[in-house]
Amino acid sequence: MNKDITHCLLCAQRIQAVISWRILLTKQFPPTICDRCMAQFEDSSCAFAIYKYNEAMKVYLHQYKFLQDIALAKVFRQQIHAHFRKERAIIIPIPMHPLKQIERTFSHVEELLKAACIPYIQLLEKTTTETQSTKNREQRIQVAPLFRLIAGRQVEYQDYLLFDDIKTTGTTLQHATTILLDAGAKNVRTFTLISG
Amino acid sequence: MNYRSWIVPPALRDFHEGRIWLKEHSPFAQQDIERALQHHYVQVLPGIQTIPSIKCNRCHNQNRHQFILFDCAKCQKTCVYCRHCIKMGRVSSCTQLMIWAGPRFIKQKKHTFHWTGQFTLLQRKAADEVLASVKQRRSHIITAVCGAGKTELLFPTVYYALCQGLRICIATPRTDVVLELFPRFQRTFPQTTIHALYGDAPKQEGYAQLIIATTHQLYRFKQAFDVMIVDEADAFPYVFDDTLQQAVQKAKTAIAPIIVVTATPSQKLLSQFPTVQRSFIPKRYHNHPLPVPQFSALWRYEKCFRAGKIPRKLKKWVEHQLAQQRPFLLFFPTIELMLVAEPLFQAMESTIVAVHAEDPERKEKVLQLRQREVKGLLTTTILERGITIANVQVAVIGAESAIFTASALIQIAGRVGRHVDFADGDILFFHHGITAEMDEARAEIIKYNKEGFSE
Repeated sequence: MNKDITHCLLCAQRIQAVISWRILLTKQFPPTICDRCMAQFEDSSCAFAIYKYNEAMKVYLHQYKFLQDIALAKVFRQQIHAHFRKERAIIIPIPMHPLKQIERTFSHVEELLKAACIPYIQLLEKTTTETQSTKNREQRIQVAPLFRLIAGRQVEYQDYLLFDDIKTTGTTLQHATTILLDAGAKNVRTFTLISG
Repeated sequence: MNYRSWIVPPALRDFHEGRIWLKEHSPFAQQDIERALQHHYVQVLPGIQTIPSIKCNRCHNQNRHQFILFDCAKCQKTCVYCRHCIKMGRVSSCTQLMIWAGPRFIKQKKHTFHWTGQFTLLQRKAADEVLASVKQRRSHIITAVCGAGKTELLFPTVYYALCQGLRICIATPRTDVVLELFPRFQRTFPQTTIHALYGDAPKQEGYAQLIIATTHQLYRFKQAFDVMIVDEADAFPYVFDDTLQQAVQKAKTAIAPIIVVTATPSQKLLSQFPTVQRSFIPKRYHNHPLPVPQFSALWRYEKCFRAGKIPRKLKKWVEHQLAQQRPFLLFFPTIELMLVAEPLFQAMESTIVAVHAEDPERKEKVLQLRQREVKGLLTTTILERGITIANVQVAVIGAESAIFTASALIQIAGRVGRHVDFADGDILFFHHGITAEMDEARAEIIKYNKEGFSE
């Protein structure tokens, strides 16, 4: 169990290992999906995300989040690792509501960071079990605060980086940013895997 | 006052009988399920068993590489889940699978059999043999050439089993085949509740005594069927996937007979059946021999396509079909090469289109060919079986590719000449070197013709 991955996590084809100087000389995670599946994902045009939301990404998110296929957290570990490797700000993943987390059995945003070996801390907690994806734009903008600080945690005068899986209108990240800035953070930036 | 007795909601029983289902995914209210549990109408077992060895209790997958350990937020410990059947909703060691053990549906024994077709002598003989086997509860294999009318000869057996109050499943590896069989059986048995199950199938009400399903859907059944029919048993992925074959065994009761229907049985499969349990139809229903494939060398066709040219021989063949106004199918070994070739053919004739497995308009395109709206289709092996188009001409490009096994080539050749008015047609294997598989396919077809027309 949980051995080296020899078959693509998405299409179950055998992964053809291509040897290159880059793989020999740099430290990289072994690939978890085949080149054909990787080519389906489009790079994002914006600087605050890695990928664009497209059909392949929709299928990926469905299997990862709703079918709860945790193994898929590893698919983008190389890209996430490469992006955060030299990050000096403190990374905070967007939290899930504890009840939702029990229902899903894992926190999908934290698992992405864990798979990429990126250290993070958690200062926030979610106040509602409602999801953003069920609401329309107006409803999303006019809601009570989605997050609060975990009791007893201190926000220091430092740089923070909020990480989420997907950004559509940006409301979630906006709420979290406000909480951190109000609590005395020096600067808060945001980054997502996918831009909607 | 506390009522002790409880009347089972019929819908709950109808749905869950025979099914092995994730308890939390049941379409019914959890309190009803709990109620049924208290009355021991539902048996619960863990999703993954670890003793004696790890095994998914739904799909019976035992490949250790397909089990993933994870930190479960629900149990606060390390759990394990099965990736093999993940598309049907995750089964992990902390999920519960439920099986109905309560009162059973009282099956109807009155059914109407509405079919006006006629059997040929060979079909009649095979149909009688199958029926005799099922009456004695023994398994049977039907081998019949493509276009022999295999589906029809199941009708008497299905009718007999329905009238006996048995539950029947017709399983096939292909969704296309399910979609084709379902309306045919509905027409033949108009008073019987029939369900068609496949990925993304709509919800269907009631208890179905006859289920037409893809073999994947059988993961979701346990000891449910008294007669199991496996159609197109030689199709991908059934022959290569052991868990699918186990699923067929798991979904039927221990004594239920299996009827295997195939055009190209392997020796291994055939040897499992004694002679009395085999039926063979070497002739098509219209009593004409099968068209024999011809080989035609098309050296370095791949290079030619990539250079933006259609190989001369192939171009001539296509031009000939266009001039004769005959619909044609061109089989390609890979989607990629097909997409390279598509614009080249479209330059010749604008209505030629390509179709592949992930194509959302797949059904429409085949229909367009049937209605002569498009002149020809480029396709991969997905159209190798289950489609019937009158007067279709077929060419296989790159017949030497590994994907074209002997059984695939026999199936492809079987597309030609199915209609009684157009009993002959072209079947060409364009190749870059002849393989043993190609020879085998040709030899097999010649053998069938010999057997069918020896008297």
